[in-house]
This record gives sequence, C-alpha cells and structure tokens, in this order.
Amino acid sequence: MANKTGNAYGLITLSPIRRGVLEEGVEFVDKVRDILQDWNFRDNSPMSQVPETYLCRYFVLDDVFTQSLPGGSAPDTIRDFWPFGPGTSLPHEDHLQSAYLVFCCSLYGGPNGNVEGYLKGMWTAMSEDIKSIWKYCYGFEQVNDANSFMVYMKKCQMKTSLFFVGANDAPLAEQLKGLYLKQELARFAIDNQGLDAATLRANFTAFMARVNPENLTTPTWTPGMYRIGQSS
Amino acid sequence: MFNIAGKAYAINVITPVRPWLAGVNRFFLWLVRTPCFRYLLKGLKTLSLIHYARWVVIDRKAFPHLSAEQPREDLRYSYMMFFSNFNGSWDQYIDSFTFTIPKGLDLIWKWNVRYSKSVPLTPFHRYIHYNQIETLHYYSAYPLASSNDVKSAQAVRDALVAFPAQFKNDADFLQQYNALLRGLQHDLGDMYPGTIISMAAYQADRRRRWHAGTLDKQSGQARR
Repeated sequence: MANKTGNAYGLITLSPIRRGVLEEGVEFVDKVRDILQDWNFRDNSPMSQVPETYLCRYFVLDDVFTQSLPGGSAPDTIRDFWPFGPGTSLPHEDHLQSAYLVFCCSLYGGPNGNVEGYLKGMWTAMSEDIKSIWKYCYGFEQVNDANSFMVYMKKCQMKTSLFFVGANDAPLAEQLKGLYLKQELARFAIDNQGLDAATLRANFTAFMARVNPENLTTPTWTPGMYRIGQSS
Repeated sequence: MFNIAGKAYAINVITPVRPWLAGVNRFFLWLVRTPCFRYLLKGLKTLSLIHYARWVVIDRKAFPHLSAEQPREDLRYSYMMFFSNFNGSWDQYIDSFTFTIPKGLDLIWKWNVRYSKSVPLTPFHRYIHYNQIETLHYYSAYPLASSNDVKSAQAVRDALVAFPAQFKNDADFLQQYNALLRGLQHDLGDMYPGTIISMAAYQADRRRRWHAGTLDKQSGQARR
C-alpha cells in the first residue's frame, strides 16, 4: 500500500468547498482561507493536540494551472510538431468546478496503517476547529461524530503513489523524547567537561534519573513547541 | 504565505498529466519503490533534508464528488501532486534535487505536460515555481528540529536506554561514558530556532516571542 512506508502513513484528502457567499459578502472559500490563516496566530496549532501527527498542512486548491511554459519531454515535442488533428499544439486549458480544501498529513500509523484511529483522534482533539472549516464543504453536513468524520475523510482521501520517509517512522512520543534527550545530553556533555571520574559519575547518575530515557511521557518535548524550555 | 513551520518548509506542486500517461506515471512511481529500482531514490536519502515527501497521481475523473449539488469535474488532464517537508530554503531544496537525482526526477515528472526537465536549472525553477501552491497553515510537531535531528535523536535515545546502570568503579564508568559520547559524536548538538528565511519564519519567531511573554513588551501592541 503506497499510503504507508514502514509505520509512517501519508494521508491526503481533498474536500470540495461549496459555492456560496456569507451574509457579510465573503465567499465560503475565502472564509475557509481566513480561518486557516487565523490558526497561525494562536499559541499553537490545533493540530498539536492531535496524537501522532508528525507534520501536516492545509491549503486551498482554487484551480489548476494552464501550462504555457516551454516543455522538454518527448510527448511535448511530438505534440508540438504533430501535423494532424484539430486545435493547437498548446496544452488545453483545464479548470476545476469546485475549490478543494487540501489536508496533507504525515503521521504515525503503526504497522497496520491505522488512519481510521488517527482521524477519530483528530475529531476528539479538535472537533470545533474541524467544524469551523469543513462545514463549508460538500457532504460535511452528514458528519456529527468521530466515526462519521472518519467515514467522510475516507471518501475525500486520495491514494498516494509514492510516500518517501526521510526522517523515521517511530511513534511521535519516541521522536519527541529522543529530541529532548539529544538536547539535554549535549548540554550535559558541555557542562561536565574535565570533571574527575567520581564527580562525573555522580552528575551523570543524577542526569539519568532526571531525564529518564525510558519514560516517553515526561520529561519530554511537547508537540509543536517553538522554544527550548517548553518541555513537559 | 505560511510555508514554514520552524525549520521545515512545505512545498505543494500540482502538474497536469495526459490521461493516457497517468498510468505510466503511476507505474514508475511504483517501480522506484521496488527493491531493484529503489537505488533511484538513494539520492533523496543522501540529501537528508527531507522529513517526508509524496507524489499523488489523481485521475481526471477521480476528484472527490460528495454531493448531488456539487458540480462534476470535467477535466482534460489527470494531475500529479507533489508534497514535501524539507529543511532549508526553497532554492537550496530545488537545487539539491537537480544536482543529486536529475534522472530520478525526470523519470517521475517527464510524463507531465510541458515538464522542463530538471537540467538546466533555471527552467526547472520556473516550472516548479509556476505550479506551486502556497500553504495556508503548516504544522510541525518539532519545529526546532531538522530531519537529521529527528534521526540522530533516535540514536541518542537508543544509546541512553542501552547505557549500563552498574559499574565496577569510577574508572569503568568513565570508560563507558567516553565510549557513549564517542559513539554519539555525530548525533549530539544544540537545537535552536532556524534562521529567518521568509515572512512565515518571521511569524514563527513572533509566536516564539509570544510564548516567551516578550512580544507585548517589544511591540507595545495587543496580541495578534
């Protein structure tokens, strides 16, 4: 299954946005855009509350692009010199009938690629935010709980053809704990240079008790933190 | 434009594919996943600046249709979408692609209408830029970390978990400790917010100051 590589899962959904205008004269598609941009000014993204999210993005696909630039591939060259058939050698002009809300997410899905569980968790973590943007999409009126949201998103899901994992596919808690330990051990090594063995051993024992490498819950980095020192 | 979350940059590119070549495109995307042809993606691993990347080929009649009220799409082309999460600037990323995996790129994109080829560089820049869509909201669970940080963090944690708890004496501990640091010398390092390379990074920095409680003092303005 191309949606997953190892334990990492690549989710992408396209949700068609309804045509319409709000009372204040703002089109639905622009309202969706406004809400998403407002998320950038919060303390942190609502996605930081969704378990197992590595990285994700939202954007609006208003339309597709007409290709007017010169091309270099064989099909283009053949088409340019093809003497038969109607029309011009320039590419056709395509237009979408609806704008689409695109949600593209890299997440930890586990060995079975449990995207259903992820989507239900997403609803639990941020249902009000979900409703605030997806309510402008076709078909969302049938969504009223975690299960119906999962079913809706599965209808919107596009199959990934190639999913490349450049980092790793560990559970998010392991990744965050590792980052916390990396930062702390680097500092420890710098702060404890040149000490005698007995002092260093005592300090390191205290360090290991404090950072507790096997405990993924605490202390660790919090999802989405922008500042060293926000560890939980 | 909010293409940046800390050290990660989100790129979205959508390009048309002739419908009769969409299957071929998909075939080659499948091919590079197979053991025999996986070497074509080796350059991507070598780049080591990518968190996660993906290609999605959508048939012209496969766009979601969820309601009778929704007008049906009537497209002449199928479309390939490319998404990547990487560290560094746009230029660095696109240039790295061109210099490390030009053949792999061409193999994947050559089925797309008016693809410029990855070499020479300027037309390829123009092609990607022309077909790129800006992100509205981008989230990273670890904005302070690069892809390499995430990988090395795993090595640090594994080493600490495996580190013995008992030692014969202080000298034995020192030997083990030095071996630990020697083994992790490529994996350690402080992580700080990345350099500002766009207005979106400015927003990230603004948010960081907000978290630190210094934003109001500096700007003298209300939050927002």
